[in-house]
Amino acid sequence: MNPEILIGLNQSIGLMVLLSTSIGVLIGLIVGMIPGLTISTGIIVFLPITFVLPPDVSIALLLGLYVGGMTGGSFSAVLLNIPGTPSASATAIDGYPMASSGNAGRALGIAITASFIGGIVSFLFLFLVAPILAEFALNFRTEDMFSIILFGMTIICSFSAGSLIKGLLSAAIGLAIVTIGQDPVMGTQRFTFGEVNLMAGVHFLTALIGLFAIPQLISHISDQTKLGAVTQSKIKSILPNVSDLKIVKTPIILGSMIGSFLGTLPGAGGPIAAFISYDYAKKISKRPERFGSGTIEGVAAPESANNAVTGGALIPMMTLGIPGDPVTAILIGALIVHGLAPGPLMFLERADFAYGVIFSFFWANIFNFLIALLSLRILVKVLDTPRSILMPSLAVLCVVGSFALRNNFFDVYIMLFFGLIGISMKWLDMPVVPLLLALVLGGQLEENLRVALTGSQGDISIFFTSPISLSFIILSIFSVVWSFRSNRKYKQIIN
Amino acid sequence: MRRKNIIAAMVIIVITIIYGLMTLQLPTRSLPDTPGPTFFPWINVVIILFLSVVLLLSSVFSTKNFNLEFKQEETQSNHNLRALFALIGFAVYLVTLPSFGFLFTTIPFFSFLMVMFSEKRPLYILSSSVGLTFLFYFVFRYGFNIFLPQGALHDAVLKVIL
Repeated sequence: MNPEILIGLNQSIGLMVLLSTSIGVLIGLIVGMIPGLTISTGIIVFLPITFVLPPDVSIALLLGLYVGGMTGGSFSAVLLNIPGTPSASATAIDGYPMASSGNAGRALGIAITASFIGGIVSFLFLFLVAPILAEFALNFRTEDMFSIILFGMTIICSFSAGSLIKGLLSAAIGLAIVTIGQDPVMGTQRFTFGEVNLMAGVHFLTALIGLFAIPQLISHISDQTKLGAVTQSKIKSILPNVSDLKIVKTPIILGSMIGSFLGTLPGAGGPIAAFISYDYAKKISKRPERFGSGTIEGVAAPESANNAVTGGALIPMMTLGIPGDPVTAILIGALIVHGLAPGPLMFLERADFAYGVIFSFFWANIFNFLIALLSLRILVKVLDTPRSILMPSLAVLCVVGSFALRNNFFDVYIMLFFGLIGISMKWLDMPVVPLLLALVLGGQLEENLRVALTGSQGDISIFFTSPISLSFIILSIFSVVWSFRSNRKYKQIIN
Repeated sequence: MRRKNIIAAMVIIVITIIYGLMTLQLPTRSLPDTPGPTFFPWINVVIILFLSVVLLLSSVFSTKNFNLEFKQEETQSNHNLRALFALIGFAVYLVTLPSFGFLFTTIPFFSFLMVMFSEKRPLYILSSSVGLTFLFYFVFRYGFNIFLPQGALHDAVLKVIL
């Protein structure tokens, strides 16, 4: 066995790492179940805390939060009919009717079990595929990297369902923001207005805090509609029985496979995987007419799919340095803050760390299953937390978070500025995720484009003569078309 | 949405023109046949201008009713006023924070936001604001070794209080 795998395993079972993973899972379950708080916001708020922790401990915490958040979203979907995360939307279709008819515990037990199996399947997928892909990616040149990043940016299409023009505009604005600071090839100062604090550019985590958290805070202030009645009517036995497990076996396997695969594709993500799995589970079911009125297959399929997406999304993040979804984009930022650039070189230079991350993901799924199952009755009480406490805390944490990044108050003002941009974009119905993607990938996109063109003396045919580059350009086109088709299907299922 | 799109497109066009003018002023340090520092900003200018013009034209020639949209927005004005008030509060908090320090500014800001979230019990507001502010302060200061702004006027305010 590769010795780095053992070192990675050893890293993941350190006391602090395991503790951090379990705390992350607990926070994730809480963040995920609170409607209106997304996993991205949860990670952004807790990110500053990780700056003072060692990289393995901090990434374990964030992975725990990611995995826990996915499962937590199903709790409010089942109990309140309000999905805590967009990925849990499909779970509510059958979960809430089950809870309404007194089967809340059974629905949640199935959701937790399906999430666990989905997570473990995606861990295996990650463990087996990531090192092979990373080794292959070592042969990539700058023109190939440019095309790969371009492929990574096709995720934009899946977040531009409302208007493609607005999605692309959002990304283009992000690319313009990336040009603030030092030019990545020659070091020329651009658009700094003589401000020393802008010489290193806008720190994208500061921008993220503003873009995600501030609009959420403001929208909660302007829309204070009360939540629906909590269906907490006696959560009885949570552990699923053998007959239930037999029924959900096939939907769970199906959901896990779909989620793991779709997670690797930029532009897919949890909600689409969950709805596609739900749709397929309905098609293969012997009693499809019962879907929508409270059937356990309808809970199992989407739940296994959305948790399987997490492992799948980590594959392009760790091997190519491109995010599979917004959360992995933030994780890339967290790794960069710790001086670790995700990409093929990570498996070459820090394979022990890369395997440590993979095993931490495994432990996150184990803890997620145990914590969710054992503390479900206590956790659901969080749904009663008043927003008058939650939201001001979020606001203060945003300020502290952006300050803690570089101990510079200028970053707090930048955060507020991006908060205003986020609010304006929300008002204009313009998606924020493309801007986020552009902020994460824009610097690399420019660097690889310019270095490739310098090498070819300005000849753009270099992007079409390299087989890898050409393949990724074709894949980008396929990804755009595929994203639109899946989005259309997703909308049809919702309607 | 049509009205909003027109506003958005026009604002973005103006900002992009300014961005383009600033790109013109950037130093053009470049080797022959290689892209310089202005290369990527110019690509951005072209893409943003093209997309904004498309958005503007598609909105101008849209067939949706302007007045109906206007009426729908009027009903939200009360909520928007509350949001605007919260934003002003946020800005005031951030302006005063470096001078007065984390503790002295966060407590009133926290209380203000609680009121914004329709909390009416004064004792609950006070205890939550003070308790949570101190909790954050101690967790970050002693737990994570992050020194939150003390504020230049911190000692002076403390003297007045004590």
